[in-house]
Amino acid sequence: MDSLHAIGFYASSGVSVIGGLGVALLAGRGRRGAALAVSGIGLAGIYVSLGAGFAALVALVCYLGCAALVAGPRYRAIEATVGAAWRQLGAVAAGVLLALLAFAAFRGSFAQAKAFTETFGASDVGQLLFARDAFATEAVAILVLVSLVGGTALWRARERSR
Amino acid sequence: MSASLVTVFFVAAGLLAAGVFTAVWRRDLAAALAGIPLIFAGAGVAFVGVARFAAAGGPHLFGQEFAVLLAIASVALLALGLGIAGREGAR
Repeated sequence: MDSLHAIGFYASSGVSVIGGLGVALLAGRGRRGAALAVSGIGLAGIYVSLGAGFAALVALVCYLGCAALVAGPRYRAIEATVGAAWRQLGAVAAGVLLALLAFAAFRGSFAQAKAFTETFGASDVGQLLFARDAFATEAVAILVLVSLVGGTALWRARERSR
Repeated sequence: MSASLVTVFFVAAGLLAAGVFTAVWRRDLAAALAGIPLIFAGAGVAFVGVARFAAAGGPHLFGQEFAVLLAIASVALLALGLGIAGREGAR
């Protein structure tokens, strides 16, 4: 990776992580949505600096959609019944998870190889999903269909019981 | 200046931990759902990093393919969760 891509990678990483922390800490839907959009823009920058332009485009569109959903007025707040002590314990667990993952990455001694720079587009995704990974794609589709039908059936049964 | 696979994994770990922190820290369950895209973003960065640096001789495009699927799945899961939250919150 040359210096220009490395600078882009580090800058995009900072933007993405800061946006992620903003999603966790900022108050208000609009601010959280804006922070998620910033995180998505940073993520797209990371993908571009790693040579994954098509994935960057898809991620940008998807995360801007996520930001619009989070900032939108179409849902209501549901207050959790979990106490503050459990939330603080969960936050400490998230910090421990970060430390464990960073330690695993540092001690992993992963193999280095020369950079891969082929183009990747929608046709490549189609070929991978419907040619090489056709059986796995169908298995995942069946699992999703069964889970959606099961969820709908459970919801209808609960609605009738009310 | 250069970036290696270990650096990519550090960034992926940061994004994933930020998503987990969001999911456990927000008191509002609907707002906690916003951690899902961050968790998936961390996983996607790790996949793309492996596809970029460490997949020589292997299926190069799998990492990018999976990153695309993770981005689409994140917006779908968030829409589903917020839809359910809107319905339950209206009761």
